[in-house]
Amino acid sequence: MLFEKVLYPFDMRKASLKVKPYVMKLKEAGCREVHVIYVMVPSEWGLLSREEFDCEEKIEALKGTMDEGFVSGLLKIFRKMKEVATEFEENGVKTRVVLVPGELDETLAWYADKYGIKLIALGVTSESLSFFRVGKILDIIKAVSQPVLIVKTPEEEDGEV
Amino acid sequence: MPLFKKTLYSTDFSPLAEVALDYVKKLKEAGEEEVVVVHVVDDLSVELPDGTDLLKEEDVYKILPEVDQEYLINLIEKLNAVKEILEDEGLKVKIYLKYGNIPKQIVSVADEEKVRLIVMGAHGKGLLSEILLGSVSTDVIREAKCPVLIVKRREE
Repeated sequence: MLFEKVLYPFDMRKASLKVKPYVMKLKEAGCREVHVIYVMVPSEWGLLSREEFDCEEKIEALKGTMDEGFVSGLLKIFRKMKEVATEFEENGVKTRVVLVPGELDETLAWYADKYGIKLIALGVTSESLSFFRVGKILDIIKAVSQPVLIVKTPEEEDGEV
Repeated sequence: MPLFKKTLYSTDFSPLAEVALDYVKKLKEAGEEEVVVVHVVDDLSVELPDGTDLLKEEDVYKILPEVDQEYLINLIEKLNAVKEILEDEGLKVKIYLKYGNIPKQIVSVADEEKVRLIVMGAHGKGLLSEILLGSVSTDVIREAKCPVLIVKRREE
């Protein structure tokens, strides 16, 4: 089952939405489960221990340790991801929405191994693949053992969702 | 949506490329109809113009030493074997044997054939291959206009 379980990293950019139709299409080739993940990188969210925030209650509980504005931001991201996941659910694909703190490459590799992910579907901008910025994508490809589907979006078509 | 209708399968005939071939076959279920199989040679003893089509430009063989000719004939046999495997799956197949810069030629064929996806293996073990991963795979990812599926190891 080569495409059975897909990990779909989402970063609130239009580029990460571009990969959605591809994942949806893979249902015909056996995709049964999609994990939509947002990685809370320390440079944006501060240092947090690795935990899986897969419901609003868990995110709300961060209010004790994190600025309230940050928590609202995380809730906004989580709800948007739920919206994305609904489309998969409506097409008969089981989903899991989760926010995980950590470095992007390490977290994706850890999560993919933990949940037996078969494919990682990555939406990126052309700019992120330019000569000086290619490192981030390369780090992900190097860190994970699963196949990676890379769907590019021109920089001018990117932006926040 | 015909997202996977026409794919390019880049092969170096390594075991990892065979793993990537499984993905190419599987994509038929997601609407794939045609596969363009590409192998690029960059290690002949005679320097040829970048992009030389080693299947069509037969005159080139006259200037190549025998050892290179045998090497290329062997590669053509391997390409035809892959073609047969994919045709047996009910796919339309076209093969390319090109000379030149590997990522550049892969992307060039992808553009010419207007493929929707490139499927290729990326060797990722050991320090040297970690560095090399950046050269072929990353250049293809960077330059290709279509999505790229990078396969790293055998499905277990």
